[in-house]
Amino acid sequence: MIPLSWYVLLSAALFTIGVVGVLTRRNVFIILMSIELMLNAANINLVAFSHYLQNLTGQIFVIFVITVAAAEAAVALALIILLARNRGTVYVDEFNIMKG
Amino acid sequence: MEIGMRDIVFLCVALLTTIPCLIVVFSRNVLYSAFALFFTFLGTSGLYFFLDAEFLAITQVVVYIGGVSVLLLFAILLTKNVDEIRKTNMISGPRMALAGAAALALLGSFLYALKGARWAMNGNAAYPATTIKGLGDLLLSKYLLPFEIVSILLLAVLVGSLVISRRSVQ
Repeated sequence: MIPLSWYVLLSAALFTIGVVGVLTRRNVFIILMSIELMLNAANINLVAFSHYLQNLTGQIFVIFVITVAAAEAAVALALIILLARNRGTVYVDEFNIMKG
Repeated sequence: MEIGMRDIVFLCVALLTTIPCLIVVFSRNVLYSAFALFFTFLGTSGLYFFLDAEFLAITQVVVYIGGVSVLLLFAILLTKNVDEIRKTNMISGPRMALAGAAALALLGSFLYALKGARWAMNGNAAYPATTIKGLGDLLLSKYLLPFEIVSILLLAVLVGSLVISRRSVQ
């Protein structure tokens, strides 16, 4: 039987890689993908604990997280397409009109 | 501890999840990142199979690979004519160093928390052979209200993303 800590370690690694992606990359698509990776890492954690505690509530929560992640991706991509159309770039440091 | 077949397969699935994840973050080509994301999601689905969560594994394939990744690819192809793609995909040195330090601190705190953790295991309780029945029961009894709220959220997202991304009619 695979120990729970392996799953938690894997999930921590995936989450950290996602954090690095959000912090380093300036392409708005990559930032969105990194956010999806972090949500994915949290999901792995939830399912692992759900399995080892023999409790299905964690899986229910994962279903909601997946739904919200899909919704977020849909809205974010619509916004990105609009931004790229209006500003001609996907470089986040140039989206600074609200800085004043 | 002997290493069984199950452990080897687990390691392969874990690598299938982790290595594309690195490609997503460090690749200079956005399309490569999007395709690597496919494999990360596929590996996650495999992990769910390992954890006896078949329904979630299938949902992962359908929603993430069939939905989110394909949507992402379409969006990338729709914005292909943006200028200065080299600058956009660059990773600057000082920022990389700072982010690396922050990520190392984060990973270190995770490992520290993991090292001291003692989890209450409930390994011998009866786990349903198929989790789908239990999930359905829970979703339609205890978690009915969140379920309905999420469906309203999906409707709002459907309408909202169409309204946001349409071309304004003159």
